[in-house]
Amino acid sequence: MEQAPTDPERQLQPAPLEPLGRSDSGLGVAVDEEAEGAREEGSGGDTMTHNNFWLKKIEISVSEAEKRTGRNAMNMQETYTAYLIETRSVEHTDGQSVLTDSLWRRYSEFELLRNYLLVYYPHIVVPPLPEKRAEFVWHKLSADNMDPDFVERRRIGLENFLLRIASHPILCRDKIFYLFLTQEGNWKETVNETGFQLKADSRLKALNATFRVKNPDKRFTDLKHYSDELQSVISHLLRVRARVADRLYGVYKVHGNYGRVFSEWSAIEKEMGDGLQSAGHHMDVYASSIDDILEDEEHYADQLKEYLFYAEALRAVCRKHELMQYDLEIAAQDLASKKQQCEELATGTVRTFSLKGMTTKLFGQETPEQREARIKVLEEQINEGEQQLKSKNLEGREFVKNAWADIERFKEQKNRDLKEALISYAVMQISMCKKGIQVWTNAKECFSKM
Amino acid sequence: MAGGPPKALPSTGPHSLRDMPHPLAGSSSEEAVGGDSTPSPDLLMARSFGDKDLILPNGGTPAGTSSPASSSSLLNRLQLDDDIDGETRDLFVVVDDPKKHVCTMETYITYRITTKSTRVEFDLPEYSVRRRYQDFDWLRSKLEESQPTHLIPPLPEKFVVKGVVDRFSEEFVETRRKALDKFLKRITDHPVLSFNEYFNIFLTAKDLNIYKKQGIALLTRMGESVKHVTGGYKLRTRPLEFAAIGDYLDTFALKLGTIDRIAQRIIKEEIEYLVELREYGPVYSTWSTLEGELAEPLEGVSACIGNCSTALEELTDDMTEDFLPVLREYILYSDSMKSVLKKRDQVQAEYEAKLEAVALRKEDRPKVPADVEKCQDRMECFNADLKADMERWQNNKRQDFRQLLMGMADKNIQYYEKCLMAWESIIPLLQEKQEAK
Repeated sequence: MEQAPTDPERQLQPAPLEPLGRSDSGLGVAVDEEAEGAREEGSGGDTMTHNNFWLKKIEISVSEAEKRTGRNAMNMQETYTAYLIETRSVEHTDGQSVLTDSLWRRYSEFELLRNYLLVYYPHIVVPPLPEKRAEFVWHKLSADNMDPDFVERRRIGLENFLLRIASHPILCRDKIFYLFLTQEGNWKETVNETGFQLKADSRLKALNATFRVKNPDKRFTDLKHYSDELQSVISHLLRVRARVADRLYGVYKVHGNYGRVFSEWSAIEKEMGDGLQSAGHHMDVYASSIDDILEDEEHYADQLKEYLFYAEALRAVCRKHELMQYDLEIAAQDLASKKQQCEELATGTVRTFSLKGMTTKLFGQETPEQREARIKVLEEQINEGEQQLKSKNLEGREFVKNAWADIERFKEQKNRDLKEALISYAVMQISMCKKGIQVWTNAKECFSKM
Repeated sequence: MAGGPPKALPSTGPHSLRDMPHPLAGSSSEEAVGGDSTPSPDLLMARSFGDKDLILPNGGTPAGTSSPASSSSLLNRLQLDDDIDGETRDLFVVVDDPKKHVCTMETYITYRITTKSTRVEFDLPEYSVRRRYQDFDWLRSKLEESQPTHLIPPLPEKFVVKGVVDRFSEEFVETRRKALDKFLKRITDHPVLSFNEYFNIFLTAKDLNIYKKQGIALLTRMGESVKHVTGGYKLRTRPLEFAAIGDYLDTFALKLGTIDRIAQRIIKEEIEYLVELREYGPVYSTWSTLEGELAEPLEGVSACIGNCSTALEELTDDMTEDFLPVLREYILYSDSMKSVLKKRDQVQAEYEAKLEAVALRKEDRPKVPADVEKCQDRMECFNADLKADMERWQNNKRQDFRQLLMGMADKNIQYYEKCLMAWESIIPLLQEKQEAK
């Protein structure tokens, strides 16, 4: 995934952002996104030989969910849900879509795909999966993973996940992704064969780097703070929203009791009876209207959740930068100390503590030949080190450049998506208000006839 | 009517009515002479009904002026259809202007009672007095004593039942004022109760305490006679129509109780919803501080939720102040009505017992002794008054509940309209493109 090397000589500073030449900053999550092939100097390695596939418009949908039972790795019975993924290619000429592939996948396979992408594209903000377990649940919602509503929302979330990847200029070209959509059997083995798990950075290493890095790019530090705060605020929002939903549900449902009591009361009244009875009916309508209203709102909550999880993806990119930067700093430090050692040996002055120096003091000066040999070794190491530092520097700067480009893309996507989400939330509220006005106006008319 | 012994008023009481001109004998002197003074409603009503339209109680023959029971019930009967003469009244009473009085022993609230009337029973055309709750309570007891055959409207509850409501808070005082105003208006609208001497004193006396101390001296004979029913008599069966009224009141009170509970529960849920909303809105504000392009939209949503919260608070306040008290009043009303029904039962029981006693005596008397006849009169009078009052009550109840429930619907509509306006107004804000990031 490395790009062609660019050159300058910065050693310890991270690379400054170079002007972008991206032409496709306006990417939506739209289905029929045409992923232009090989625009960026052909990504090497694992990516596409199937460029042509992507030149056609494709449609991806996760159209069904099915409960299955099977045996797991420990040969125990388990129940899980499988999702049907259908891929269609749309002919340019007549717009008709033809089903080209369809296969079943379960959630764990989606997870595998994502983990793979995280390792191979650490500079990309990788789209998140819908939640593994139902969280921010309010009392009417089930926390059960097998609950049909949860499964339905998860199906939508998984479809969204695939669409996000398909519309990403870089990720869409990944071969493993292509195989995920097209090769049902053996896909897991294929992924594992890439050995991506071995290439993953260890958590411990990453944590260590975060604490010790001295000079990370300030933009990444800021971004990390932003993603922490975003995560915190969206969590808070989702928690309170769930409570709000709960309470609203209560308000509406209690009104249903009016229906019954008005009906009973109307039985003993002569002139008032009809008005009461029909008003009671409207109260029932009011009470039952909340179910659909809150179901729609869950969709809004899901949109927020996606960005809650995106915050984690942002942090992952920042962590990778810190790791690379730390690596660079260590390498530079190492090089500097070797150079110093070399100098000391050459000039005979001992400024730094070294084991060799100590033993020399204790056991006597070494011979000039021994010293020469050591200097030679050090010089070789220094050479190697300089090469490594150079390439690490380049890597680092490439990473920063590419990562920041994707982050800018992500920011625009986020702003667009969240604005849409807020608008649709406002529209939901407006619809709820209008329904409320309607019902109470009807009830008022019934009361007026009492 | 300050000072001096009260004059005899045309209130119920078989004997006092004999001294008055028959209501149907149109006394032109009472007719409208100018814009303000209008004929008393009962006289006007009399003109629209012919003799043949009179439905007298117990199917008795119309006995002209000599049957006091029929006259008083006639008054009641004629008063039933309020819609016909809507605005022609001669008595207006308003309760307003609550004021707090702080004394060494206690603190209390008084209300101003303003009375305007052209009735002869009032010396002056206008009165303005101050009364406190205790005075209303006194009035109600006196009305119950002196008009036991009639349904007396309820007062708002004396003590504050729930929690730590401040009885000097603006909301509480206003709620109470409205209820007291309603109480007096119901009496004003009643063709018999509005002529009651205690009511008159309440409206006009500068110092009510003088009258409070006078005790039972003002009781009319009717009240006295009913009061002396010792209640040792047990009624075997309630006549069908009164049994029906009793059953109706039982179920009615039950349903109202349920509605009261539901309304309270709704308010409680709405308040809890409000609490959550008040936390929800500000989170959007916090979020907006993290963002660039999204800052304004998020802030807009926060403000919007704030507006909805305010609207919700107004709704719950209104329901608490306007809806619940009226429900409770009607529950109290139906309770007091049931006691009146029981009293009626006793009067009937006494009559039947005495009648039986006479029959058992196997005496030779052709006609029924005077005291049994008196019992019969009492019973028939009571029945007539009660039936007439029930019909009036049913009509008023219908209007009151129509108004109450339409009011409830209205408040909810207003709440949703406020929220709708808030959300509609931020759509353009959410949609607009931000120029600079």
